[in-house]
Amino acid sequence: MSHAAPGHVSLDPRFAPPFPQAALQMLRNPQLRKNVAHAIDVIQAKRGKLVAEKADWQELRSAASAIRFHVLDNLGVYLEQFEARCTAAGGHVHWAADAAEARQIILDLLRQENASEVIKIKTMTSAEIQLNPFLQAAGVSVFETDLAEIILQLGEEDPSHIVVPALHINRSQVREIFARTMGLKNLSSDPKELTNAARTYLRKKFLTVPTAISGANFLVAETGTVAIVESEGNGRMCLTLPRTMISLVGIEKVLPRFQDLEVMLQLLARSATGERMNPYTSLWSGVTPGDGPQRFHVVLLDNGRLSILAKTKERQTLKCIRCAACMNTCPVYRQTGGHAYGSVYPGPIGAILTPQLMHMKYAQTLPYASSLCGACYEVCPVKINIPEVLLELRAQVVNQERRQVGRFFDLMYLGLRIANLIFATAWGFHAAQRMGRIGLRFFTRKDGWIHALPSLGAKWTQTRDLRGLPKLTFHRWWATRAKEGK
Amino acid sequence: MKQPVPSRQRILDRIRAATPSAAKDAFQLASAYAALPRTYTRRGSLSAQARVELMIQRLREYDAEVVECTPAELADAITAQLAASGRLRIVAPSGAPPEWMVTSAWKITGLEWTLDHDLPIDEIEQAEGVVTAATCGIADSGTIVLHHSATEGRRVLSLLPDWYLCILCASQIVETLPEYFSRCQQPPALATYISGPSATADIEMTRIKGVHGPRILVVIVVRDDK
Repeated sequence: MSHAAPGHVSLDPRFAPPFPQAALQMLRNPQLRKNVAHAIDVIQAKRGKLVAEKADWQELRSAASAIRFHVLDNLGVYLEQFEARCTAAGGHVHWAADAAEARQIILDLLRQENASEVIKIKTMTSAEIQLNPFLQAAGVSVFETDLAEIILQLGEEDPSHIVVPALHINRSQVREIFARTMGLKNLSSDPKELTNAARTYLRKKFLTVPTAISGANFLVAETGTVAIVESEGNGRMCLTLPRTMISLVGIEKVLPRFQDLEVMLQLLARSATGERMNPYTSLWSGVTPGDGPQRFHVVLLDNGRLSILAKTKERQTLKCIRCAACMNTCPVYRQTGGHAYGSVYPGPIGAILTPQLMHMKYAQTLPYASSLCGACYEVCPVKINIPEVLLELRAQVVNQERRQVGRFFDLMYLGLRIANLIFATAWGFHAAQRMGRIGLRFFTRKDGWIHALPSLGAKWTQTRDLRGLPKLTFHRWWATRAKEGK
Repeated sequence: MKQPVPSRQRILDRIRAATPSAAKDAFQLASAYAALPRTYTRRGSLSAQARVELMIQRLREYDAEVVECTPAELADAITAQLAASGRLRIVAPSGAPPEWMVTSAWKITGLEWTLDHDLPIDEIEQAEGVVTAATCGIADSGTIVLHHSATEGRRVLSLLPDWYLCILCASQIVETLPEYFSRCQQPPALATYISGPSATADIEMTRIKGVHGPRILVVIVVRDDK
């Protein structure tokens, strides 16, 4: 990931600027906002149409939510079952506690293969552990094969969406990247021609590179099956032509039984790309003699997921099937695009997943990157109550902050402590009300509104008016009413 | 294999600690699983004829070429499609029935059928077309299911050639995805679900056909249901 590229923010939450700062930078880029809004409008229209035609959509969501919760409740036994079945079918299962361990396991496997090149199917998990720069530094050339990932890799750009990672880049920008890096001067900006250029560029790689890396959409405990859904066929190429395949998968991705795919697959494509079914879904368990890679490894990755599993309200974060419906519907994401989130997981799901994966040590501004409108919860195919988790995380951030010594004289916390003292007694509360009424009277205009306040109060009135206080407080009105015997 | 055992154990121990409500034994787990709500539509409601029509309609929406024929007409239908495509070097799975190839062999000059008995990848890549059978069709989403049996071929076979002719029997078509899954009592070791030709929408969400998989998909629906 190119930290230093001008105009870019880091997608490593440890180095990324706070959301409001990064968002401001994005809001000043009209081209980016136009590209993002266009792409999202297209996906949203398609999704809306296909969800509406599904009469049992809510029932599918309920089933999916229940299945995912059931898996999380019983994660240990299902992972062990997956491991046993995958191993029995000729696969090898590795366990990685964190990003560093996962990277090292993968590099060791590549070294055993004497691999100097590797082809990759799009995987956000590998971006999470920053696998590409690590492998390149170790002397392994990495070739992304998903069209969007090629655009990003060749253009040295960062992903801004988990399903359509290059949605912030338009066709003429793609043309520029391909023309420059593939040496195709006469390339037009017709998406068809650009896609063809990628097809030609990759065909030789598919046929010659003997090692591939993928993620996975689902694991099936019952059968040891790995599932990958895709559109282009680059996944199928990587899954059938190389002799060695390594799949990096978050430990939460397991499903109990093969049949559970009937729920997930119906929800995933409709939610992610607005299709009844994605063009290609590949399922395989272990190794099949005479068909596809004869050496197969699964790397199961924790990397912060377990700290989420242990918490009651937050656990639902792990139900996610990475469809990106939440970011497509989010009014905040629509304005800022993905990079502002400073994480490979942007949007509402990123706002709850990223700080938790970072053990709440980084990305603390992300839980605030939301208007709490609840659109993300409404579209989520596995019913993750994202606003509930956002609020929970905000509370944790506040608790962290007020314990910091440096924050002792922070105006907000000072104010809140004083308010706490005053509002602790009815006497204090009423006195404060009276003083407030007297004070605000000077600023209330004839129309009954307050248009401008001085000093700290200006932060409110800069962007919105405040209604003047009524003549009577509720308490006073209630007391008068009782006296008059009404 | 240099597998750091401690990580596996540490992860599993931490999972156990984090999931105190986990099922205590296989029986408890099975009953918790059985209790999961499944009120979504499992069985379709269409007539047999409407089901086949929906499948064909969905395939056409994906820009697939679809023709129907009776079982007796299959060989002629394959020949007609091959002739129309102008493609001569055709590969087929090792278990492809000889009747697929009979008519075409003497009607199209220069046509060359090669069965995939461990063909080198280059040869598959250079083939101009591929013909395979299928396991199932799912009408609701227009999905063709391959379980890669001897008549469906290994996975790479239906992937590399640019032109793909798939033979699907009407009796194999179900309406909903759950109906397909209830047919899979024995889950396959390998499966590929194909819903239209290879496509991408990565550039400005404009759908482009044929990125890496076959760019042209032709489906012959054999009306063995009549």
